[in-house]
Amino acid sequence: MTQSNNNGLATAEKYYTQFGSRARELKASGKKVIGYLSALGPVEILTAAGVVPVRLKGNVSEAITKGDAYMETIVCPFVRNVFDAAVKGKFDFLDGMMLPHQCDSIDRTNDVWSLNLNLPYWHFLNVPHVTDDPSIDFTKEILRVFIGTLEKFTGKKITNEAITEAVKAHNENRKLMRELYDLRKTNPPLMSGSEMIKVLVAAMSLPVDESSALIKSVTKEVKERKAPAGKKAARIMLIGDQIDDAAIMDAIEGTGANLVMDDLSIGAKMYWQDVDVTSDPLQGIAERYLRKLKIPTTYIGDSDNYQENLEIRFGHMKKYIKEFSVNGVILFIYKYCDPYGFEVPAIKSFIESAGVPVLYLEDEYSTSTLARVKTRIEAFLEMIA
Amino acid sequence: MSEEKKAKTPRALATKAAASIGKFVKNNLASSVTARSEGKKVAYAYIADGQDEIMRAMDIVPGWGESFAGVCSARRDAERFLQKAESDNFSRSLCTYATCTLGFDMIREELNGEPVPGASWGGMGRPDVILGSGQLLCDPRFKWPQATQHYLQDVPIFVSNMYYPPFDPKVDHKEQEKFYVKYAKDELYACVRFLEKHLGKKMDWDRLAATVELSDKTWDIFIDAYELRKAVPTPMDTGDAMNTMVPVTFNLGTQEAYDFYKDLYNELKQKIAEGKGVAQNEKYRLLWGAGLPSWFALGDFQYFNDKGAVFPVEITYRGGEKTERLDLPKTNDPLEHIAWRWMRYWTHWYDKARKRPGSLPKVERIIEYIEDYKCDGVVFHSAFSCRSWHAGIITQANVLKKIYSDIPVLIMEGDIVDISSYNEADTHARIDAFIETLETAKKKGRK
Repeated sequence: MTQSNNNGLATAEKYYTQFGSRARELKASGKKVIGYLSALGPVEILTAAGVVPVRLKGNVSEAITKGDAYMETIVCPFVRNVFDAAVKGKFDFLDGMMLPHQCDSIDRTNDVWSLNLNLPYWHFLNVPHVTDDPSIDFTKEILRVFIGTLEKFTGKKITNEAITEAVKAHNENRKLMRELYDLRKTNPPLMSGSEMIKVLVAAMSLPVDESSALIKSVTKEVKERKAPAGKKAARIMLIGDQIDDAAIMDAIEGTGANLVMDDLSIGAKMYWQDVDVTSDPLQGIAERYLRKLKIPTTYIGDSDNYQENLEIRFGHMKKYIKEFSVNGVILFIYKYCDPYGFEVPAIKSFIESAGVPVLYLEDEYSTSTLARVKTRIEAFLEMIA
Repeated sequence: MSEEKKAKTPRALATKAAASIGKFVKNNLASSVTARSEGKKVAYAYIADGQDEIMRAMDIVPGWGESFAGVCSARRDAERFLQKAESDNFSRSLCTYATCTLGFDMIREELNGEPVPGASWGGMGRPDVILGSGQLLCDPRFKWPQATQHYLQDVPIFVSNMYYPPFDPKVDHKEQEKFYVKYAKDELYACVRFLEKHLGKKMDWDRLAATVELSDKTWDIFIDAYELRKAVPTPMDTGDAMNTMVPVTFNLGTQEAYDFYKDLYNELKQKIAEGKGVAQNEKYRLLWGAGLPSWFALGDFQYFNDKGAVFPVEITYRGGEKTERLDLPKTNDPLEHIAWRWMRYWTHWYDKARKRPGSLPKVERIIEYIEDYKCDGVVFHSAFSCRSWHAGIITQANVLKKIYSDIPVLIMEGDIVDISSYNEADTHARIDAFIETLETAKKKGRK
C-alpha cells in the first residue's frame, strides 16, 4: 500500500508535489500506464483493462519552453502546459494516452500530441457534444472501439463483468470523495481548499483502489481534527475547468477567506455523479459522461424555456452555494477557452440572481500572472466582507 | 464611422464572378431582415453543418453569423460589436465571429429588435430558431447559440451532430463509417422534427431530395471550375476564392449557387483561352495551406500578386469534393446521402495518409494540391481567436517538410475579425522576406 491510515494528508502532499511518482513505481512493477486529459476520460474502461489511468496535469510554475515549437499559442493554456511537460519528458511513465474529445484545443491538437510523443498506445475518443438518445447510442459505439484498441494493446479481453466491477469501484471512490467534501460544510471548514486540491490531484494519479484508500485515510485524519476556532470568514466557491495547483487556493485563503467548495473539472464535477450499474455497462457509462456530467462541452438546451435550461446547466451550483453556505463565487476561466468563455455572462447572472456575488477572472495556467489575480481576489473579498 | 473612413480601397478582383459576389452576401443578409414581413422564418445557422438543404427545402431563411461578422470585419465596422460583447464579459480571446455577432444581437435587442443603425449592409434579422452543431468543426457552433440565447431567450435552439471518424493510422476508419452515418442521419431527422415543431412547417421530402441532388451538382461544378485554376498562368487566385466561396458555403442547395459556378467555369475557360492570368508576370505559385483570412486585410492578396505570387489553390473554403471521388453508397434517403457526403468529404484523404508513414490527412491534401497545381510554397494564416482551423498548423508545416519536401512555408498571424491583432507593415515585411525565400528556393531548384 502507498499510505497508512493515519497520514493521508502527508501522502496526498507527496503525490501532489511528486506528481506521477506512484505511476512510475507501478510501471516499474510491470503495469501499463495510460494518461488522459479532462473529465471526459472514462476511467472505468481503463480500470477494467487493468491499466493505470493517470489524469495529467501541468506545472503552473514552469514556463512553456519546448511545446510552443509544435503547438500554437492560441490553444488552451492548460493543454499547452501539459503538452510542454510531455515533450520535456516529465511523463516518462506513460505507455500511452487517450484524449477524449472535450474541446477544440484537444481535438485540433490530437495529431500534435500523437506525432510528437509517439507513445506505444494512442486513442482519440470521439465523445459527442450533444446528449440526445442517438448520442448515447453513438457514445456506446465509440466506447466499443476504444475497448477494442485497449484489448489489442494489453492482449487481454475486457469483459462486461470487469467493467461493472470497475464502475462499482469508481462509484465508491466518488462517494468517498463526496464524504470528504462534506467536512468543508462546517464554519470554519475542517479542511482548507489548499489541502483539498492536493488530495484531488493525488487521487487522479492513482489506481482506483489506492485512490479510495487515500481518501478514506484523509477523511479519518480530518475528522479527528478539532473544529478550528477563529473569526468567521468569507466562504468561497471556485468554478472552472482544470485548476489543479494550490497557488490559486493559497491566493484565496491567504486573504483570510475560506475556500469551501468548487465546481472544478478535477473536483466536484468529477465526483458528484455516479455511473448507474446497468445490464449493459456501457449504457450507464455513456449516460454518466454525456448527461450527468455538468461540463460546458456537453450541450444541454432541450427545454423551450431558457430559465429551465439554465437550471439544468447550472442548478447544481446554486445547490452547492446553499449546502456549503457559500457567500462569494470566483469564476476562473482560462484564456482561449471557448466552451467556458461563452458561458460567463449566463453563469454570472444565474449565480448573482441567487444573491451571491461573482468575481470573473480570465487568466493563464501560470503563476506568472498570480500577483494580478491576487489583487483582484483581495478587492473582491473586501467587497463582500 | 472613423474606422470605415480608414478602410482601404478594395483589392482588384481578377474575375467578374468574384466582383459580383457582393450581391449574394447583401441578398443573404437582406433576406434575413425582410423575412418576417414576407411571412418567412429565419434560422441562425453556421456553415458546413449539413443543414443547408433542410433549410432550403423548408423555405427557411438562414441568418449566417459568420458571413455578417466577415462583412463587419471587411468594412472595418466590427470593433463596436466586439466591445459590446466584451462589456458583458465575453473575452476578446473567444471566436470573434461569435463575439462580433453577439455584440450586434445585444444592441438589436436593446433596440427592441429594430435594425441597428449603420450596421453593415443592413445587418441580420432576428431569428425564429437557432440551428447549432456539435460536430467536429468548432466549439462555438454550439456555445455561440447558447450564448445568443442569453439575450434572445424566446428563441429555441437545436444542436445537431455530424461527426466523422478521427484519423488513426492503425485503424481503418471505414469499419466505423456505418455507425457514424447512422448517428448523423438520426441527428438530421431530429433537426427536421425540431423545425417542423417550432416553425409550423412540414418538410416536403421530394423537394428535399431535389435540393440534395442540386447540391451534389453544385459541389461538382464548383470543383470543375476551381480545377481550371491549375492552368499556368492561373486565371483566378485565393484572393478571389475568398469571395467565390460564398455560394457553395452560404447558398448550397439553391439554383443561384449552381448557376454561379457554371458562369465561373465559363469565365475561367475564357480567361485560359485568352492566356489571362491573375498576375501580369506569374513567378511563384502558392498554396493557401490553412486558415481563415483576415477579412479586414484581403488587400494582402493583392500585395502577393503585385510581387508575381499567385494562389491557384487553397484549402480554406474548398468545402466540397467531386461526388464521384467520394464513392458515396447509393441511398434513397436524402438525409442519409447528406450524412455520407459530409463524412466522406472529411475523411477523403485518410487512405493516402495511412499509406505514407508519419503523414496526416491534412498534409496529404496539401501535398496533392502542391503537385496538382504546381505550387512553389505554402502560406498558412493563424487567426488568434479561432482554435478550430488554426491549431495544428505548425504540425502540418513540420510534417510537410519532414515527409515531403523542404518547400518554403510562411505562417502569418492575425485574426479573422479583430483588427487590433494586425500590423500591415509587419505583415508586408514578412511577405517580402517570404518572396525572397521563394526566389532562393527557385534558384536552387527545390526538388
